Amino acid sequence: MNRLLIILLALSYTSVFAYSGEGHINLGDKASELEDEGKSRDIHPSLSEIRKMHPEFLLHKRDKTLRQGVRTKRDSLKACVNCHSTSKDGEYIPVNAPDQFCSTCHQKVGVSLDCFSCHRTTPQEDL
Amino acid sequence: MSKKLNRRDFIKSTTASTAGVATIASGISLTTFAVNDNPVTKEKRWGMLVDINQLSESDIDNMVNACQEENGWGNETHSTGHQKPSWIKKIKVKDRATGKIDSLPMMCQHCEQPPCVDVCPTNASMRREDGVVLVDKHLCIGCRYCMMACPYDARSFVHENLSNQKEHMPRGKGTVESCTLCVHRVDKGGVPACAEAVSGEGVIFGDLYDADSKINQTLKKIQSTQIRADLNLNTGVRYSGI
Repeated sequence: MNRLLIILLALSYTSVFAYSGEGHINLGDKASELEDEGKSRDIHPSLSEIRKMHPEFLLHKRDKTLRQGVRTKRDSLKACVNCHSTSKDGEYIPVNAPDQFCSTCHQKVGVSLDCFSCHRTTPQEDL
Repeated sequence: MSKKLNRRDFIKSTTASTAGVATIASGISLTTFAVNDNPVTKEKRWGMLVDINQLSESDIDNMVNACQEENGWGNETHSTGHQKPSWIKKIKVKDRATGKIDSLPMMCQHCEQPPCVDVCPTNASMRREDGVVLVDKHLCIGCRYCMMACPYDARSFVHENLSNQKEHMPRGKGTVESCTLCVHRVDKGGVPACAEAVSGEGVIFGDLYDADSKINQTLKKIQSTQIRADLNLNTGVRYSGI
């Protein structure tokens, strides 16, 4: 019984802290700042949830925004891009460019998305 | 370890810790989700009243420029002639008997019974509860039936790859687009860019149903028309002085 309990606790411990040490290789400017300040969990309480569920969140939000006029920041693509864009030499790099925040994982798992043929790929405000 | 943990104790302790985590988690979600979250309702109907007599030629040009600036269209380099998008344009109408020429701004009229919505095969062309007619570009397949159906020639098709779009106005190749009544501004309590570009009372924007709104009161007082009123579309954009 004790052994089982230890195994169970060890598993839950690793699943909770599995991602905390290993950061995304290119988190983006504002997101890195927030992480340094320890505030990133206020935005994404569960990292595994946002990693797995973000397509559903975005899909749900897009219909709410477009068809019902709900323009909250939570789950909006605009807010994703705002935090997860990286700047270089005083300019933002498009978030869907190779090795940027969106494309690192999408390249790896081999999905190609069509968000950014219409949506803006950098934050609106210039540096 | 001397003390054996029995089943009952184990369940007790896990329940307590789960309840603790749940309380904290619900606190987090409450703070992050509690923002203004109200869908639009049919208690409002957005509309616009354009008074031709108060608009000069340059006022109409300003309206067109303001729309381009706000929504980021008009810089397409590869599109030619009729391919170029025009969300709002200046048109001239001539009275054949007297030869009197009026210029007026023409954009999506935000009909209550929109023909573009009737013909759309994918439900991309749609009308919001508050009367704003939009294209859901996620669903648009670019068939352009709506462009054929629109009596006002208000819609455009994007013929080329675009980049650097406005943050609030996604636009892309292969989809149809038109005036959105600057819905991104209206949802935040603002007015459309074209209405803002005109000083004075040449263009009045507001809620047609609200008896206290300026547009409602003005429409009660003065003579106004809907363009192609014979089609019974009940447009949201009204004109006076034609």
